[in-house]
This record gives sequence, structure tokens and C-alpha cells, in this order.
Amino acid sequence: MDKFANVDWSEMLLMALIGFLLVFAVLVLLIFVMRAMGWFFTRDRKPKAAAATSSEPALDHAISDQELAAAIITALKLYKSNLHDQESEMITISRITRAYSPWNSKIHGLTQIPEKK
Amino acid sequence: MSVLLQTGNFIVESLGAFVETSGFGAFFADGGWKFAVMIALACFLLYLAIKKQFEPLLLLPIAFGMLLTNLPGAEMFHSELFAGGHVHWDIFVDNAGLIDYLYLGVKLGIYPCLIFVGVGAMTDFGPLIANPKSFLLGAAAQLGIFATFLGAYALGFEPNECGSIGIIGGADGPTSIFLTARLAPELLGPIAIAAYSYMALVPVIQPPIMRALTTDAERKIKMSQLRQVSKTEKILFPVIIAVVISLLLPSAAPLVGCLMLGNLMKECGVVDRLSKTVQNELMNIVVIFLGISVGATATAGSFLNFKTLGILVLGILAFSCGTAGGVLLAKLMNLFAKEGKKINPLIGSAGVSAVPMAARVSQTVGQEYDKSNFLLMHAMGPNVAGVVGSAVAAGILLAFLG
Repeated sequence: MDKFANVDWSEMLLMALIGFLLVFAVLVLLIFVMRAMGWFFTRDRKPKAAAATSSEPALDHAISDQELAAAIITALKLYKSNLHDQESEMITISRITRAYSPWNSKIHGLTQIPEKK
Repeated sequence: MSVLLQTGNFIVESLGAFVETSGFGAFFADGGWKFAVMIALACFLLYLAIKKQFEPLLLLPIAFGMLLTNLPGAEMFHSELFAGGHVHWDIFVDNAGLIDYLYLGVKLGIYPCLIFVGVGAMTDFGPLIANPKSFLLGAAAQLGIFATFLGAYALGFEPNECGSIGIIGGADGPTSIFLTARLAPELLGPIAIAAYSYMALVPVIQPPIMRALTTDAERKIKMSQLRQVSKTEKILFPVIIAVVISLLLPSAAPLVGCLMLGNLMKECGVVDRLSKTVQNELMNIVVIFLGISVGATATAGSFLNFKTLGILVLGILAFSCGTAGGVLLAKLMNLFAKEGKKINPLIGSAGVSAVPMAARVSQTVGQEYDKSNFLLMHAMGPNVAGVVGSAVAAGILLAFLG
């Protein structure tokens, strides 16, 4: 292509460098835009969260998430292990009626009289 | 007797003429072997798409388009109508066939943009909004584009061709097709095939590079949970990004604008019918047209040369450099990050687009070292940032070389 007849290595290197830096510059700008948007939408949540925690007794912040999860799991386990099934305490034989049961059927017995043809 | 001889000669001559005019005859003409090679290659790509399921949604129509265009005598695609990089409208209507008409969608940059509407409607930008730093990883992974740009020049390609080959490193099919159709349309077939084939090979290409560039301790880094993103933020995001990028880089406006339009349709929640249509029907129809017409550009003359071989080699370089760029920047960011705010460098590799496969690779490699480490959502941030980054890179290359 005639358009690129005079392009040499130095120009190609410059083009690649500027191109790569431009990609970075555009996306860094987007980071600032997104951060500003994030700040705008979360600014109300933070004071509310702070107010909610300030009315409660101060917690030991040294407790890690994993320890907290372990404590919750243990509490749930203990709670569930103390639960019993609710039983009716009535021990009777339930009467089951069936319209047809083949267990003593004469039809299936061995003493059938063979049909005479 | 003479009547019989005459009849015999007539039959032999007629059959000979028939064989010569048929496609089979062309295989035995000068250079006819190239058609046979291309048909074999198309069948191999069909095998990869159907049996190995390498990006089958696109590779299958591409391979079939390639098969059709290389059937001698069928003349499904006329490259002379698009010679010199523009459409020859004066002879178009008289000479164009079905695939020529379908190819107009590629040539005029319509299909890639329509696909981006669908991609936008299927993408959740939540992880990126929650952690905007992911944009940096998406930018770093574009290293593959610019490194390959230089690599292509070293191999003797023209600067405009270098730009088209470099964009393979963006691991984004529609972006590659959009840019190549404008900068180097004669390379469209090999570039599209390289881009989609390597995208399918992301789970094979990336893990060794990720392992080589990270330590065991780095791979086990657990990242803190992402904050919740409100619906208003998700609605504003596509509008803001479309406006900011289009104003900064007008050449990237078609791609970014369409991507964000699709995302807005999904997030606003009031046009569910449109959102579903662009995600399914529209996307599928465009994929069929795009695949067949791109495959049809891979004619024997344009495909069987050393340039194609060079593109295939450079494609691997592009993906590898992009992966390395993302991982290395994540490591660099960790040098300045406080304890508890460190980034698992494995998510850096997801900065090459290939949504969502690259993010899945980060998750899979991370879990090999720590089963309780879930990186998928964290990796989705750089992954979708990579889509925006590669569209921006395409816009920049188009501004430089277009």
C-alpha cells in the first residue's frame, strides 16, 4: 500500500507504544468515572451502616470472617442436634384395605384343574 | 459402421466437454489441487466444530462457507466485487451471488456490531462496576494486540495488515472481523479462523502461561467479596461508557455503542422482549450470515500462502502475550496493595476477552491449588473489561491505520 510506503520501524514502535498507552489512558479514565459513580451510590449506605453499628456494643474486630462463620455453623449444629421429632405416641396396627391382593389367589395356585379341550 | 463410430466419437466428445465444464474437471486443471486442499481443510474445520466442539456456533458456518466457496465452478463468492478494499457497486447487481450479498454485512461492518448488541445483552458488568480496578487488567491484556502488531511487521506484513493481525490478541471475534474488514479485507478468512480457533483453545493456551508466571502462594490468594451493585448503577453504566468512549474515540463508537445498547436493554428491565430477541434470534441469525460469508472469503488463492501460516503463528503469540500482560500487571498491582486487598494474579489472564471462557480458566486453575477459592466472579471483571479494552484498541488502530 502506497499510504504506508514511508512507514519504518521507529514509527511502528511509536504507534504500538502510543496505542497501548491510549488503551490504558481510556480505561483509567473509566476507572475514575466508575469510582465516582460507586461513591455516589454507596455514600448513603455507609452512614447508615455506621449508625447501625454504633448503637450496638463494640465488637472485637480481631474476629476474622472464618471464625465468625465457624461460630455460626457450631451454633446451628448445636441447635439442630437438640431438636427431636414430634411423635404421635399412638402405637396401633393400621388396617389396610385393598381391593384385590394376589397373595392367596386361587387363580395363581398350582392345584388348578387343567382345561379339557 | 461409420455411423457407429461417429456416434461413439460424439458421445466421447460430449462426455469430455461435460467433464471439463463440471467442477470435477477443475480439480485436474492447472492449480486445481488447491481446491482439493481447501475442501479438505474445510472438512477438517467441520470435524473440529462438530466432533471436538471448538466454538461450533461460528466454526461450523465458517467451515461450510469455506467449503462452498472452494467448490470449483460454483462461483459462490466473487472477490473481484470487493477488490481494492471497497465494494464495486457498478458491477455488483449484475454479478453478485447470494454470498456476495451476505458479505455486504461484513464489509459494511453491520454483523459485528449486531453481534455486539447480543453480547452486551448477555453480559453482566456487575463485577466490573463493583471493582473498577479490573479495567487495568483488561487494558494490560491488550499487550497481546500491540506486541503482535510489531511481530507482524517483523515478518514483513504491511502496517494495515499488522493492525488486523494484532487484533487477534483481543480474543474477540466480532472486533477482529470489524477491524479486518476495514483494514485488510483480503486477510479476513485466515484472521477469522485463527481468532475463533485460538479462542476455542484458550483452556489449552492460557494455563501453562498462568502457572509459569505465578508462585504457589499467589495462586492461593483469596479475594474479598465484591460489593453489591444497585440496579441504577447497572443502568447508568452502559450509558456513561457509551458516551465517554464515543466522545474520546469516535472510531470505537459503533462497537462500544452496540455493546452498551444491548447491555442497557438487559439491565433496564422494561424491554425484555427486545433483550431476549437480541440474545437469541437476532444473534443466531447474524452468526449464520457472518460465519458463511467470512468462511467464503477463504478462497484457495487468498488462503494457501505463507501469510496464512504467519497469521496462525502470530495468533498464538497474540494470545500468549495478552495472557502474560494481564497476569504480570496483577502481580505488579499486588506490590502496592495492602494485605487483604491483594489480587489473585490468575484473574489477570481473563483480561483477554474470550467471555466467559477465560474467566472459567482462571476459576479452574485457581481451584487446582485451593478448592475453597472461588475466582469466577472476580475474573468476570477483567474479562468484560477486556471486551471494552479490545474495542478501544480496535478503535485506536482504525484511527491510526484506517
